[in-house]
Amino acid sequence: MPDAVLDAEHDEVLGRAFDRRLTARLWAAARPHHRLVWSSMLLFPLVALVELAQPYLLKVAIDDHILHGDWVGLTRVAGLFAATLAALYGLRMLEAYLMALTGQRVIHDVRATLFRHLLGLEAGFFDRTPVGRLMTRVLSDVEAVSEAFTSGLFAIVADVVTVAGVVVMMLWLDWRLALVTYAIVPVLFAVAAYFRLRARDAYREVRRRLARLNAFLQESLQGMAVVQLFTREAHERREFERLNQDYRRALFGSTLFEATLYATVEALGSVVLALLVWYGGGRILDGALTFGVLVAFIQYTNRFFLPIRDLGAKYTVMQAAMASAERIFGLLDRAPAIVAPPAPRAPANASGRAAFEGVWFAYEGERWVLADCSFTVAPGEHLALVGTTGEGKSTCVRLLNRTWDVQRGRVLVEGVDVREWELERLRRHVGVIFQDPVLFTGTIEANLTVDGAGGAAALQRALATANAAALVERLPHGLRTPLVERAANLSHGERQLLAIARALVYNPAVLVLDEATSSVDPEAERMIQDAMARLMAGRTTITIAHRLSTIQNADRILVLHRGRIHEEGTHGELLRRGGLYARLHELGAGAARG
Amino acid sequence: MGTTLSLAIPWTVKQAIDALQTRGRAAPLGAYVALILGCAAGNGVARLASRFAIAGAAQHVGADVLSRLYAAFQTFPPAVFARYSTGDLMTRAASDVSAIRSLLGFGLISGVSTALAFVGALAAMLAVDPWLTLWAMAPVPVLVLLARRYTALVTVRTHAMQERLDELSTLVQERLAGMGVVRAYTMEPRAMAEFAAANGALRDASTALARTQAHFTPLMGLVAGVGTLIVLWAGGGAVVGGRLSLGALVAFTGYLGYLAWPTVALGFTLSVVRRGLTSMERIQQVLDEARPAAPADRQHAPARPAAREPAIRFAALTFAYPGREPVLRDVSFEVATGEIVAVVGPTGGGKTTLGLLLARLWEPPAASVFVDGVDVTTVPLERVRAALAWVPQEAFLFSRALRDNVTLGRETLDRAATERAAGAAGIAEEIEAFARGWDTVVGERGLTLSGGQRQRVAIARGLAGAPPILILDDVFANVDTAKETEILAGLRAAAPTILVMTHRLRAAQGSDRIIVLDGGRVVESGTHAALLARSGLYARLWRIQRLEEEIARA
Repeated sequence: MPDAVLDAEHDEVLGRAFDRRLTARLWAAARPHHRLVWSSMLLFPLVALVELAQPYLLKVAIDDHILHGDWVGLTRVAGLFAATLAALYGLRMLEAYLMALTGQRVIHDVRATLFRHLLGLEAGFFDRTPVGRLMTRVLSDVEAVSEAFTSGLFAIVADVVTVAGVVVMMLWLDWRLALVTYAIVPVLFAVAAYFRLRARDAYREVRRRLARLNAFLQESLQGMAVVQLFTREAHERREFERLNQDYRRALFGSTLFEATLYATVEALGSVVLALLVWYGGGRILDGALTFGVLVAFIQYTNRFFLPIRDLGAKYTVMQAAMASAERIFGLLDRAPAIVAPPAPRAPANASGRAAFEGVWFAYEGERWVLADCSFTVAPGEHLALVGTTGEGKSTCVRLLNRTWDVQRGRVLVEGVDVREWELERLRRHVGVIFQDPVLFTGTIEANLTVDGAGGAAALQRALATANAAALVERLPHGLRTPLVERAANLSHGERQLLAIARALVYNPAVLVLDEATSSVDPEAERMIQDAMARLMAGRTTITIAHRLSTIQNADRILVLHRGRIHEEGTHGELLRRGGLYARLHELGAGAARG
Repeated sequence: MGTTLSLAIPWTVKQAIDALQTRGRAAPLGAYVALILGCAAGNGVARLASRFAIAGAAQHVGADVLSRLYAAFQTFPPAVFARYSTGDLMTRAASDVSAIRSLLGFGLISGVSTALAFVGALAAMLAVDPWLTLWAMAPVPVLVLLARRYTALVTVRTHAMQERLDELSTLVQERLAGMGVVRAYTMEPRAMAEFAAANGALRDASTALARTQAHFTPLMGLVAGVGTLIVLWAGGGAVVGGRLSLGALVAFTGYLGYLAWPTVALGFTLSVVRRGLTSMERIQQVLDEARPAAPADRQHAPARPAAREPAIRFAALTFAYPGREPVLRDVSFEVATGEIVAVVGPTGGGKTTLGLLLARLWEPPAASVFVDGVDVTTVPLERVRAALAWVPQEAFLFSRALRDNVTLGRETLDRAATERAAGAAGIAEEIEAFARGWDTVVGERGLTLSGGQRQRVAIARGLAGAPPILILDDVFANVDTAKETEILAGLRAAAPTILVMTHRLRAAQGSDRIIVLDGGRVVESGTHAALLARSGLYARLWRIQRLEEEIARA
């Protein structure tokens, strides 16, 4: 599958550490915080300046005061040194804080953009993408991207500034000695580049083998029963052990390069030290160099080597950040398939009329769920849709509120094609009560109310009509009672009543009722039926019936079969006809007795 | 050794500077240079060796822990898998094992080298000048106290941040999973507002944490800095007063610089150690769930039973999943060797549970389930499972070649046996029609095969080992009735004793005997004709299914 967002393997693949296109987009994403970014950037030279002043002060102390026995002067330099310490503490703290602040703000914004984008994507996308993978995008990938700023961009700029400062200071103090030090730089870069390259390959191998190990493990966990039933545990364990050891060896290989690079850079640092003692020592004897300069040089060299040594870690972070950025942008680039037209049409009236006109629909390819399906619902009519499972009854609901789009034909609400409606308006116009009443964490009030639909009074009326007032009163904090995850603190029947109250608050002109299949106790059932009847009174209602017993009073019953309307009429008419409905009815009666 | 060698470097520099100062041209500069290079090389080698040894050992331990975890997973019955999600177990196998690896690798290296650096540098400094060492170390206790205060604050704020993160992730999970409702009720603006609030709260908590953490690294830098300052001032004074050589002063700054990094890294090391210890606990928790390696025989397993014993016998079996109503109540029936028996009844009647108990994926009560006359709870698991093949409703295929999916690596299965089994399961022709035939690799969770094909591959897998008893749990859901009858006829030849659970009575029609299970009880049993004649539940179900067939044909 070429789709980066959907591809599971893709999560493990690491590409380049720097991608110009991605970097430009990241930079654009951070635009609202550019001022913050620039202020952090301004701090870097300041920090470098103060940091680099310290060895210089040491030089001054040695050359001008210690060697001349000047105690007072030394104290003055020590005071200056103390001042640099205090300044450095303050600056570094500010630097760390600003960097973290920038990172957090970027995370916050990218996360919000991503979530808003997800809210606009169509149902087809959610059917194909596991929620877990989207959670990874919104939670961890976003964090990895912010690392591109804190550990990547910022750290690199800070390092460049420091190294440049060191170079300048060394040249200024003694250009000859500086050049001797730089003699090692080509070697250093060659070594770093070589190991970097090898380490990158080794690291890729680590990721590849880890992906394989994890894929095996995941499948093992899912298919464990099969392995156990055939007592193939030993066989699977051998295979797992092979992958496990493969991964361990790759990991060690990567450690090998990482550690060797580290040690080599450190050893090269000592080589420079030896060079300084040898060449600098000679020049001191010639009187061309002071002790102080030599000591300052030794300290500068340390600061010169540190950034190069840590390059590896930064490279890895950048690689991960770029991979995450790619996945996030891939998701953001996926345009929502179902959007309102630029100039939506508003229906002339809201009487509650709907129609299917020669609708063809398939979730994928040519596997038609609806094939040339047509019917109309008149204002105030109670229509019931019946048919065996998998005949596309629930699909009709999804087409009415434009969760999916038809392939051929038209779905009309109030005489206007649903594809010409403004989406939000359409969905407020066509209300749905789902089989499973989903409520979210948050207070009951937050779950039931909607912007611009009545106020507290309307809510109270809705609760009363839905037989839910007593239930809410019984709760410890009434309407403000918080619901836990999956509203587990309420029974199924109670959730159903609240869902009815929610529909009443929304007060849609067309109500679609996807009948619940799960059973509740008779008392709850009675209350639900009662509330439902009041909700339906005088309102256009389409009931998706899973049990025929509840729809016998419907104005009209449509029997859906092989993707189209097979029979149509009242309960009595259809029974008399002795066709499909009559058989379904007999079946339902038989099943009920069984 | 690496520490000693690297500590020798500042000392050599000191000697060189002192020599330069006191002896001028006579100073053996070359010797000092050689000494520095020697020390550096030795240090590099020693450090590499120790790093490889420790990191290598840590990676070995990591691999071992992972192996042990995997072995534990293999013993988990479905009950444990019901308690831990795949994601949870994956996290433990990936992140937690990795945390242990870091603890033993980075944590150990860093901890040991920090300790050595402190001991070594202190000793070296004391050797150079005890009085100056005291001065240089004076600010350390104060800073350690400060650091502890910050660490406590960081812990509190990390907790606060973690809570906000949990809230946000619950919110995201719930809204995305309930997208259908969000969309239908145009709750997008509300969802966005709630998300924005949680997202903002997380940002604020993270920023508060960052503000505290921002103190930490500069503070550690200050430890080193103040030391240098004191050395410069007090030590410089001593040089001025002639009590100390310039070389000693330089060596001191060298040692202090040497200590700077481990001090700065201390905080990070501690967090790695803390995480590693938590992960160890989490892994131990899962390891403790493992079933004991060899199930203890509750009583001495009887010798080979008499030939008259039925292949399967349920004796007054009552079973309930933990904390639920019994799914099977007082179920008793037998399946004689060579017989085909069908268990039918409405969904939720306990058909699947029968198979789970026979295969001992769930533990039945003692003396209620017998295979070949032996109570299954008294014999080792392997023996029970070797005696029967249970094909579950949901066919699970591995993303491996079809052949491997059928053989599961059983060395005893040759090509011919495998293909015979596939033939009996009615899938052989389709497999051979694939471009890569038996080597076709099944896609992620077997998605490239149709449901019916997957089920038949699973049946072939069950048949391949020529089990004395075959148990099929509603495996024909995606197979048409004609094919089903054909396969069942083929199976009769392939497996001696067959127990079929099905909700399709057509399939049951041809079996020797039919057991009707309803609400966990056996309500009727007999042949198809006898049951129809009784006009009980079976007869009613039969009529319903006839109707369904008619509707499907309409």
